Amino acid sequence: MPGFNRPFRSYLTAAALSVATLTGTIAAPQALAEERDSFKIAWSIYVGWMPWGYGETEGIVDKWADKYDIDIDVVQINDYIESINLYTAGSYDGVTVTNMDALTIPAAGGVDSTALVMGDFSNGNDGVVLKGSDSLEDIEGMPVHLVELSVSHYLLARALESVGMSERDVKVVNTSDADIVAAFASPDVEAVVTWNPQLGELKKQENANVVFDSSQIPGEIMDLLVVNTETLEVNPKLGKALTGAWYEIMRTMRGDGDAAVEARTAMAEAAGTDLAGYEAQLDSTSMFFDPTNALTFLESDTPKETMDNVRQFAFDHGLLGERADSPDFVGIQFADGSVLGSESNVKFRFNADYTRMARDGEL
Amino acid sequence: MSTVTLKNVWKEYGRDVVLENINLHVESGEFVTIVGASGCGKSTFLRMLLGQESATRGAMELDGRPMPDEPGPDRGVVFQKYSVFPHLTALGNVLVAEELGTTRVTGRLFGRRRREARERALKMLAAVGLEQAAGKYPSELSGGMQQRLAIAQALMKDPKILLLDEPFGALDPGIRQDMHELVRELWERQGLTIFMVTHDLKEAFELGSRLLVFDKVRHDPQAPGAYGANITYDIPLSHTTPHPSVYRAVGQRLGVDPYPSAAEEEG
Amino acid sequence: MKRLINQTPGAPWRLALGLLPFVLVLLVYLSASATRLAENPDDPLLPSIAAMADTFAEVATEPNRRTGELTLWVDTSVSLIRLGLGVGIAMTIGLVVGVLTGLIPYANRTFSPFVSVLSMIPPLAVLPILFIALGVGEVAKVALIVFGIAPFIMRDIQQRVEELPRELLVKAQTLGANTWQIILRLVLPQVMPRLLDATRLALGSAWLFLIASEAIAATEGLGYRIFLVRRYLDMELILPYVLWITLLAFLADLVLRLIVRVVFPWYRARRS
Repeated sequence: MPGFNRPFRSYLTAAALSVATLTGTIAAPQALAEERDSFKIAWSIYVGWMPWGYGETEGIVDKWADKYDIDIDVVQINDYIESINLYTAGSYDGVTVTNMDALTIPAAGGVDSTALVMGDFSNGNDGVVLKGSDSLEDIEGMPVHLVELSVSHYLLARALESVGMSERDVKVVNTSDADIVAAFASPDVEAVVTWNPQLGELKKQENANVVFDSSQIPGEIMDLLVVNTETLEVNPKLGKALTGAWYEIMRTMRGDGDAAVEARTAMAEAAGTDLAGYEAQLDSTSMFFDPTNALTFLESDTPKETMDNVRQFAFDHGLLGERADSPDFVGIQFADGSVLGSESNVKFRFNADYTRMARDGEL
Repeated sequence: MSTVTLKNVWKEYGRDVVLENINLHVESGEFVTIVGASGCGKSTFLRMLLGQESATRGAMELDGRPMPDEPGPDRGVVFQKYSVFPHLTALGNVLVAEELGTTRVTGRLFGRRRREARERALKMLAAVGLEQAAGKYPSELSGGMQQRLAIAQALMKDPKILLLDEPFGALDPGIRQDMHELVRELWERQGLTIFMVTHDLKEAFELGSRLLVFDKVRHDPQAPGAYGANITYDIPLSHTTPHPSVYRAVGQRLGVDPYPSAAEEEG
Repeated sequence: MKRLINQTPGAPWRLALGLLPFVLVLLVYLSASATRLAENPDDPLLPSIAAMADTFAEVATEPNRRTGELTLWVDTSVSLIRLGLGVGIAMTIGLVVGVLTGLIPYANRTFSPFVSVLSMIPPLAVLPILFIALGVGEVAKVALIVFGIAPFIMRDIQQRVEELPRELLVKAQTLGANTWQIILRLVLPQVMPRLLDATRLALGSAWLFLIASEAIAATEGLGYRIFLVRRYLDMELILPYVLWITLLAFLADLVLRLIVRVVFPWYRARRS
């Protein structure tokens, strides 16, 4: 055949080899259902997740991992959504995420995920800000700038509900969180929904009024550490080490002692603010410093009621995927074992076992 | 009709002297051919006549009045390359010459005036033998045809003088001969005043009515730019072949071999 | 055996070699996708070709559940209008400024250093200024594209004008043209195909700025949709959208090349 000489054949061979290699790289999620001793957790910068970064740099996570004879790598990812996507694609065993995003991204994407650590809930960290008005009702007809399909969007839906309006009464404009402060400075932007630290920046502007914030829906926006359910089942050591490390960090950072102030200062610096700025954000965050409180919250009715709201919102906005024909499509299991939605397709679980062990000093 | 006079003209670039103290008077209807070694300033001289460059010292006059110091329609030009507009057809190239002078805003003619201009342009194309190629773009024309077109374009404006800057330097010898005949014929018929710079000594002798040789008379090996060129020979040419000794003298002056044809004629 | 640089593939292999990288990418995708889907049928990262085709057909033909509009066509028309406006304005500015600075020494001295500095500013970095000056609506999006590509076009056109053979400018003057006529009859016609060439080169950046602007604040558009569904890793929609954008970009390039070939027949011939 013309042109089909030896270099050409070796050329084809090389091509075939590269196909095989590339396939291997993309197609290999973490080998799930087998016992391992090395794990990777992704986290991103947010007030309630700074303790993970602190625990990693101070060696607290390593200490607990050593105790259970495993390795845990806690890696900071610069982009929140990217960190969840990396987890969903299988590159990480766990990720810091809100309850809503845990449902709509990994769970709706078929990755069975367990909320291992209930870190905190937003208690004013997310807010609806209007320019030149202090009444939520005035939002009617306005373009509202927010990160669409995020907790801000959910907060807006809940805010509108509280005054008898719905999303049809406003116009949602998808605006990236990085640019929302600059956008607010523009004369044609009158309403935004955002979270801290951007919310704090907006509050400083004199014509900005927070007309609704997450303290009016307490417990609905939860900051979690979620891990892959199968990985956790096969490797309970991972759950024990992470939970143990978390509550040790909590004990370290709580209170007014020198060590606690030092820990919070370190977290503030890592978050790019100062101690006062970080503490202002902590004030609008309900941290579960103590496993007892976390357990009480997990076993209360709040998670069930919240997740029902969240899944309805997610379904209405098409976040449960094309195959979802009702909000029941993805099953959500709670601490008491009850399931909301499809029992045969449970993909998101609230787990209280490890928190209980922490409370009982069994870690 | 149109005379060119240069009085004590110098051209300097900073401390480098290119031309020194040129004095020249050219009568209407002369066909002046200019030769010289490369770098002797003959092209600079042509650009000065064109108005593209001005004299550092001295006076240049056209019909007794100072020569304008930028190019204008009184002096037509044909370059060796890039002489026609590549984005216009042959007809367009000739027509544009008519349009450019006349309409200030649009740069185009319309209606009856355009039809008249088109008639003249077609006649001019016919005069240079390009009537068949009116609709073609320059890229579709041979090198010789492009130069014919350039000449036609330049002649549309009835320039007082026509400047030719090595116009046939890039053409094949056979084509060059045809071009010589065309230029000669146009010159004789229209009574043009022509200045032509060329590398080709034979062409210079055969075509012109007067030959200028540019060369440096003085040399300073320490400072090559210290002295400029001057007109070292100014030879009136009859239309008969010049005596071979003239050929040889000019050739030696320029440091080039006289053409083999000249040597044969001598023998 | 001949040196590698002297070996050319025979006729039947030319097409095959050109297709090879596409086939390889497709193979990598198909096998990786199959592996992942076997493990998790809901895996969002590498959906099957059929699932992507379904999603694409749905956004192209079925009204959106929330807005009642045909998502794909609304996104496409809105984005193409933004792109067209941005590129059109950038071309106009680029042509006017480029011709003036390339041809007129006074304009060159005045604007050339400024344009050079302007073209060094990364437009995305000054986005907050754009927001405050122009709002977050359509104007800012179009302006981002203009800021992104106009300096490049200006500088390219300036350079092209400066490269015009001096002889042609002199020739036009000997034919009696004034500055305006030189621009109108000589410079503009010669620079137009070069403007289209420059635009083709800038089109890639223009798409980039369009998508960036739509990612930042928008209610519809191709970039908006991609960044929105990226929130829940909906590759079933993202990948077909990426292919769709690639196709549109390819078509835009093709149209520009055809315009050059049909409207400026002399241009290609002269360059060869």
